[in-house]
Amino acid sequence: MATTSKQYKAIGDDIWKSRTEKINAELFALTYGALVVQLIQDYEDYAEVNKQLEKMGYNIGTRLIEDFLARSALGRCADFREVGEVVAKVGFKSFLNITPTVTHSQPQPSGSRPPSQANPTGSSFILTLDENPLAEFVELPEEALEGGLWFSNVLCGVLRGALEMVQMQVQAEFLSDVLKGDESTQIQVRLLKYLEEEVPVGDD
Amino acid sequence: MNPRPSTSTPIPMANLNALSEGSPRLIDGAALDYLTIELVNTLRASSALATARIKAVEQELLDAGLTISQSPSGPPLPSKKEKGDLAGHRDSTTSLVSLKGSKLGLDEEDEPLRLRLEAIGMHVGANICERLCRDRGLFTDTLDMIKFICKDLWATCWDKQVDNLRTNHRGVYVLQDNSFKPIARISSWEGRPESIRRARLYAILPAGIIRGALARLGLNATVTPEITTLPQCTFQVKLPKGA
Repeated sequence: MATTSKQYKAIGDDIWKSRTEKINAELFALTYGALVVQLIQDYEDYAEVNKQLEKMGYNIGTRLIEDFLARSALGRCADFREVGEVVAKVGFKSFLNITPTVTHSQPQPSGSRPPSQANPTGSSFILTLDENPLAEFVELPEEALEGGLWFSNVLCGVLRGALEMVQMQVQAEFLSDVLKGDESTQIQVRLLKYLEEEVPVGDD
Repeated sequence: MNPRPSTSTPIPMANLNALSEGSPRLIDGAALDYLTIELVNTLRASSALATARIKAVEQELLDAGLTISQSPSGPPLPSKKEKGDLAGHRDSTTSLVSLKGSKLGLDEEDEPLRLRLEAIGMHVGANICERLCRDRGLFTDTLDMIKFICKDLWATCWDKQVDNLRTNHRGVYVLQDNSFKPIARISSWEGRPESIRRARLYAILPAGIIRGALARLGLNATVTPEITTLPQCTFQVKLPKGA
């Protein structure tokens, strides 16, 4: 595992160095921040803003995965553990130039969800973001903290959208965020099930 | 005070970042493209909801027998005159958008979306500008500021400099970029007019960035983007009299 993990790191670094068109991260951070402020004003409800950010991320993820596959030329992952490694070391690296730390956790032996596939469902991993390009200049006001805003919730949506396009239904959510005064910024990604290849509705 | 050279060099982005940060923070360009695309869609939904809410409140007031004098971000159906107040500066400049507004320009219901995109752009532009200015000397005159926009701001946001700058020396500047990055990849299967119509939507945020940057420099300008052929984009910057 250690070698593959290292290999992924090398792949991620290589894509970042040679196959990305780089831009100023501040432009990105400021644009995203201004968007979140606007959504708060429009929806007047932090839960709804979280939802909208996630939805927006989902839409991004469903497209971004193609870009990712084209650039990385990686094949199918053997298990969900490998997915975690690829997401952190290649995915995050090539798009956001950060490499979150991955912590894997195995599914509980007595599965609470019905196991539908040969692969064990219920596996999960936690991404710990040491730095967050989205939150570069951000300090949340008291009201947003109390309202339960997950400022970077777009990332959860991106993960869900991207993984769904490669037949994995996942649940991605923030566990903690330094913007909320937590020790670290963590996203948990939990595998719900592997999806069957299906013909889209109305696509004969 | 600072021994290192000032800005306005051909490659200001690297220089400025080095000056201010030590190491420049970069991310993938496509990530920003994805964000911008979805940002427009997300804001379209949120502005529709906010507009509907304002309308509902107004209706409630009307039902209660009250009259409304003026609403700041009013519904998309105000009379021509009210609309002029809302859009403010946009009327004063004769752009293609207003000329062919009904046919090729943005739809009426896009007005709340336009306002939001411009506001976001202004916020971004003002703050980027402030960071770029941190280690440079004072501006000598207005033209110096405009040049700063054309070189430093442009390079930071859109990877190159303005291709052509024209002015009438009476407060109007026309900034032309022959391959403007935010609209460089826009196309539509419905043909060129449709591509241009879409591109106009994506030029609003950049126009806001320019306006925001100028505002932070103390110039209360109006900025009107114009697109006639992709991927070329011109911005007409109009300064108030006496600036």
